[in-house]
Amino acid sequence: MPGEDRRYFDEIQVGEEYVSPGRTVTEADIVIFAGLSGDYNVLHTDAEFMKGSVFGERIAHGLLGLAIQSGLLTRGMRPFATIAFLGLRWKFKGPIKIGDTITVRAKVLEKRETSKPDRGIITLQRQVLNQKGEVVQEGETDVMVERRPR
Amino acid sequence: MFYFEDVVVGEPVETPALTLTEAHMVRYAGLAGEWEPRSTDEVVSRRSESGGRVIPDLLPLCISSGLGWRVPKSPLAVLAFMGFEWKFSLPLRIGDTIRSRSRTVAKRSMKDGGVVVEEREILNQRGEVVQSGRLTLLVAKRPRK
Repeated sequence: MPGEDRRYFDEIQVGEEYVSPGRTVTEADIVIFAGLSGDYNVLHTDAEFMKGSVFGERIAHGLLGLAIQSGLLTRGMRPFATIAFLGLRWKFKGPIKIGDTITVRAKVLEKRETSKPDRGIITLQRQVLNQKGEVVQEGETDVMVERRPR
Repeated sequence: MFYFEDVVVGEPVETPALTLTEAHMVRYAGLAGEWEPRSTDEVVSRRSESGGRVIPDLLPLCISSGLGWRVPKSPLAVLAFMGFEWKFSLPLRIGDTIRSRSRTVAKRSMKDGGVVVEEREILNQRGEVVQSGRLTLLVAKRPRK
């Protein structure tokens, strides 16, 4: 794929770290995500009900946090020459509330060759932190990345 | 409300279907702030293996949770989404129609609520599994009267 800025499997080193800018998660993000996903669960949409919950207020959808961190990290690193997103293992550790500001920290955990010589698999470890430095989400993502064409 | 006690292990649930449109894709890109050329650059993506723009991988997963709420039964009393493992098997394109099929594979009672493990598959209009995985939810117990 064109785009001279994209990094090939060969150039990416295990242990590399990336940090994203911050992003404040707003009520509008939650409303838009509810409309897009169709997930109108009370956790995210009923302020009155949530006053009586352990969270005390509406919280962002877990998958909204996941989507936002994915975009956020692209602003903190040069893109990989990604062929495909293969999978992920993810934990939601704490709520993201309206007005919270999140950042993403990531690290190249592993590089694996595949049976095809033109590509390899990269595993990134990611942590999503709020403004208090608490890890609200974390996990690992596996992507298939092109090798430098010979 | 459908509480922890009401969850039956092994019972399959199939959701209604939804056609993925360019509008879904564009809204997702704006919301996530993710502008992967694979999903947003028709010229570049047409020259790649996919032969055109593909739906952002996390979007069908997000939509599958919304589809789950459209199954005609009382809503599950979810206290929190704890985590999941997920695999992307096949790309999706504008115009593909997805639905999801799931079943509870395990439930474990805790002091406050209980943990429910769900296996979920997202299928395309040809019945092919495009994404699949396991989700762990914390679900409320029936309030004592």
